[in-house]
Amino acid sequence: MALPLPRGLTPAEVAFTCEMELVTIVPRQRLEALELLGGTTPALVPPRRANVALWLALLLKRQRRANIVPPPWLLPASLSAVLEMETNPAVEGFAPTPAAPRSGGAAASPPFLPSCTADAPRNALPYHWLEVGEMLLEAAADDFDDPDAVRMLLKDLHEARGAKVRAGTQLLDAGGVFKLNGVGGMEVAESRGFVVGVIDGLRKIGASREQARREQEEEEGGIGGDEGDDDMDL
Amino acid sequence: MPLQQRLRGRPAHAPGPTFLSYTPNGRKLITVGLNNAIRVFETGSDAEPTNIDDCQESNTAVVATNDFFLAGSEDGTVCKYSLHTNSLDGILVRCTLPVRDIALSPDGLWAAVASDELTVKVVNTDDMERVLHLKEQTKPVKHVSFDVGGTYLAVSCTDGIIYIYSLTTEEPLLVRKVDGLIKGLETDAEPSSRVIWHPDGRAIAAPTPTRDIQVVSTNDWERQRAFRNGHTADVTAAAWSPNGALLASASADRKLVLWDTKTQAVLKTHDDVRATILAMAWHPTENILSYTNNDGELFIHTDFVPADVSSLLEKTLVAAPFIHDPFAEAPGNAVRGRQELTNGVHGKEARRQQGATRRARTPDSLDEILGLDDEEGSDLDGFIEDDEGGAGAAGHKRSAAAAYLDEDGYANGHAYKRRAPAGPAWQPRMHPAFQPGSTPWRGNRRYLCVNLVGAVWTVDQDSHHSVTVEFYDRSFHRDFHFTDPFLYDKACLTEHGCLFACPPSMIGGGSGDGGASSRPAMLYYRPHETWTARADWRTELPPGESAVAIALSDSYVVVVTSANYVRVYTLFGFPVRVYRQKSAPAVTCAAWRDYVLTVGNGPVGADGRSTLTYSIEDVARDEVCQNEDVVALGPGGNLQSVFFSDEGDPYIYDTTGTLSTLLHWRTPSQARWVPLLSTAHLARLASGRKSESYWPVAVAQRRFHCIILKGGDANPSFPRPLLSEFDFALPLQPPPRPAGGAATKRKAGGVADDDDDGDAMDADGGDANGQPDEAAAAHALTQTYLLHALQHAQLLDLLTGASGAASSSAAARAGLARASAEADKALLQLLAGECRGGEERGARALELVRLMRDDSGRMVEAAAKVAGRYGLEVLRGKIEEVAERRALEGVVGGDEDE
Repeated sequence: MALPLPRGLTPAEVAFTCEMELVTIVPRQRLEALELLGGTTPALVPPRRANVALWLALLLKRQRRANIVPPPWLLPASLSAVLEMETNPAVEGFAPTPAAPRSGGAAASPPFLPSCTADAPRNALPYHWLEVGEMLLEAAADDFDDPDAVRMLLKDLHEARGAKVRAGTQLLDAGGVFKLNGVGGMEVAESRGFVVGVIDGLRKIGASREQARREQEEEEGGIGGDEGDDDMDL
Repeated sequence: MPLQQRLRGRPAHAPGPTFLSYTPNGRKLITVGLNNAIRVFETGSDAEPTNIDDCQESNTAVVATNDFFLAGSEDGTVCKYSLHTNSLDGILVRCTLPVRDIALSPDGLWAAVASDELTVKVVNTDDMERVLHLKEQTKPVKHVSFDVGGTYLAVSCTDGIIYIYSLTTEEPLLVRKVDGLIKGLETDAEPSSRVIWHPDGRAIAAPTPTRDIQVVSTNDWERQRAFRNGHTADVTAAAWSPNGALLASASADRKLVLWDTKTQAVLKTHDDVRATILAMAWHPTENILSYTNNDGELFIHTDFVPADVSSLLEKTLVAAPFIHDPFAEAPGNAVRGRQELTNGVHGKEARRQQGATRRARTPDSLDEILGLDDEEGSDLDGFIEDDEGGAGAAGHKRSAAAAYLDEDGYANGHAYKRRAPAGPAWQPRMHPAFQPGSTPWRGNRRYLCVNLVGAVWTVDQDSHHSVTVEFYDRSFHRDFHFTDPFLYDKACLTEHGCLFACPPSMIGGGSGDGGASSRPAMLYYRPHETWTARADWRTELPPGESAVAIALSDSYVVVVTSANYVRVYTLFGFPVRVYRQKSAPAVTCAAWRDYVLTVGNGPVGADGRSTLTYSIEDVARDEVCQNEDVVALGPGGNLQSVFFSDEGDPYIYDTTGTLSTLLHWRTPSQARWVPLLSTAHLARLASGRKSESYWPVAVAQRRFHCIILKGGDANPSFPRPLLSEFDFALPLQPPPRPAGGAATKRKAGGVADDDDDGDAMDADGGDANGQPDEAAAAHALTQTYLLHALQHAQLLDLLTGASGAASSSAAARAGLARASAEADKALLQLLAGECRGGEERGARALELVRLMRDDSGRMVEAAAKVAGRYGLEVLRGKIEEVAERRALEGVVGGDEDE
């Protein structure tokens, strides 16, 4: 292999893709609309809120030209509600993602949904929750009321969900299906190595068993095929 | 002096820390100390005190009621003794560690016990089984003290934080942590960190590490005045006189100081104290201060207050020393009355406070209890304040929503008081004047103006103020700040300049001119930038006149004065208009370009309150647009703010939380108020779990900008909170929340959603149940249509109204076309919904088509196509008829102005 990179996106790449997300800022300086390849940015007039792409928001924040309004799901209260749901053994699966808007269509997928703006739903984690949360905490910690609590909750949530993903691989052993609905982009990226490894391992084990079964079938001449299958299932 | 001679120490106990307490009726004085005896002194008798011998050793605290007293000891017991039999009644509560302090609620029912344990126990003195535990503090507690009403308990912890608990609820509730006020002291240290509640109930005081005694208001927990420069060592004891007019304090350098509450000046210092005073108590009625020291002695200091100031002690309740007392302030601040602590529970307290500031009244006097208030009618201020319904008082947990229900507050706090049977002639209730965008004092700071350009705030520095002007757009203008000897109390900020007004001063202008003559009220305009060297100007108002409200537009300065004049100046200080306001007293004013809007108290309405009336004048053309028309408010609502939007339409926000705009105001007598948003019905409040209020700032780009206030605050705090924005939503139907069906369905569907607040609605779209969805969509479309129709009407006004058309006509025309198209688009979408409903809703669908303004003539065509697509040929035919008729008339949608 020329490029020894694992398959799929690396975390850095996932973080890069999430910079397309729109976030709400309160500008502190006027800025005319910019005509960019990716679209026109809104004209910024302080103190009116505006939704801009995360990369632009971070740029403006670093230059102290704007304050970022954390999305509602990134407030300690909503994070702890989600965490409660995640750690509740009675609830299966992961916390729900924000619902698609009514007038759906092709544009109703993450980067085009306002899932990280100030009017995003507060009780659902969007696809890029971990990346956006980390980036905002890193660049705009002063715009949070209680950044430490948010940091702690994000970490807890990350660990709780990570454990769920790993635990889910047990189902794969029995040939079951594990539902990853609601798992964020970064979580998929970071658990990809592990899950792929597990599946590979399972396949290898399965392959040797398969081999053994085939040999057995050949010996018995196809009559004991059903029995052989039963053995496999056990 | 003979008085001094009588003062002698009475060796009450073995040398060591000694404490005392008066009974509330003042007849007896109880002291406890190191030895195992408790002594009960009779006031006014020099006879030997009664000894109670069957008690614990080394008692550290004592509190008394008329019938019994409690003493806490180092062995951890709190014992109850009867004052009738002078004997031990029994052990009230037992702690594992030494007891440090006991406080008794004013009714004597509950005793708070602080020991070296981490929790404070609040024990019922009748039933010792009933114990509340206060657990929020992380370290042992040194002092506890109840407020005058007995509902709050201040706990001075050894970590240097004061914890304020509310005991009104079943489970004690931590209301507030006050950090940085007291020093962290060990529980057995001699210096004190005790909180003393001022008898008027609005303030606490506590010794600070800097050896001052700092007063803190209890409604916003801001620091108020302090008793400074009296002590050179840590304060060991302090006590308010029973009426709050005097403060006595003692320090470790063996000084005993008597302060005047009002001026915070030292009235008298006693340097001849023999040993460090550890506890002191005023006699409840007489001029006696008793104190005990750390040497086992008791001093009963009769005639403690010198004769020349003893009149202070005879006063009835004196107000706590606030920097800016919300009750004593002259009118002129936005919604100031809401600071008041009035609700059912605190009615008595509130009445006391009112009494405190306005007239002599003895605490618990008969006329207070009966609620006879002979000054009530003439007291206009009080009237209005009460009317606001007492939200305020942080810690006094009233929801902001309740705060707005002013009739409610009116009823439960004051109803019976209002029925003054022998009151003087009835007087109408007038609306107080206010300056839009300003707040009352909060501690020593207040906002003079908050709008979308920036904020102006001022800090009281005793001799002068310092004013800071901040801009949102930092690149546009630099923030500036200046020292203000004139004590400006009103300000306006625009993109071009800043206008200030100061009231007349009696003693000749702060530090400036030292003349004894009074200085008249003054206006000061300061442009942000200019091409001449100095363009700021000051102008004085005639003597005796002061500014009630000021306004600044791009071209004029407007002042409404106490003499009922409206004075209009140009931006260079040239007076262009002076005229009498027709309705007076004035309430407020606002200005935008050439338009001046003034609001005054008009004739008395049916509800006994004066109706607010407004006039709008075009100064440049010298025309009156609206003459003394009524400011329509909701039932019981008061005007909270008046402002022009960026498009130049007048908006009002009232205390019922409704934002309204004035439509067709350029044509005389055509104006009407249209509600655009009712914040009480916002989806975010639908869950009922949030209590917040909205402090209006501005309307720009057809959104309402406000500051969200939480926890019963009435005004924004420092530092300035972020602005929030809300879209307009006409109050058409109950908030869309009742789609509870959808929410429960979703829950049943396995998604155990936290389902918080209004966001359930955002998420609603996801599920398949079409019915509520469609209704919601139709509702949203109706909103869109109405809002755009409204915008269309506003823009049409702007364009047909002659002035102002010149500058913005191109943009306005474009906006007009867009609004019209958007409105039609919403109708078209609604039509599609109706068509889906089938043939029987055809009439309604046709009506929608008739509503279309259809500037281009294509909308009706499209409507016909929509009807065709749904196979409704009859409807299609009718729509085409409409189209033909319109084409014939050649007029498009002329008479369907919505």
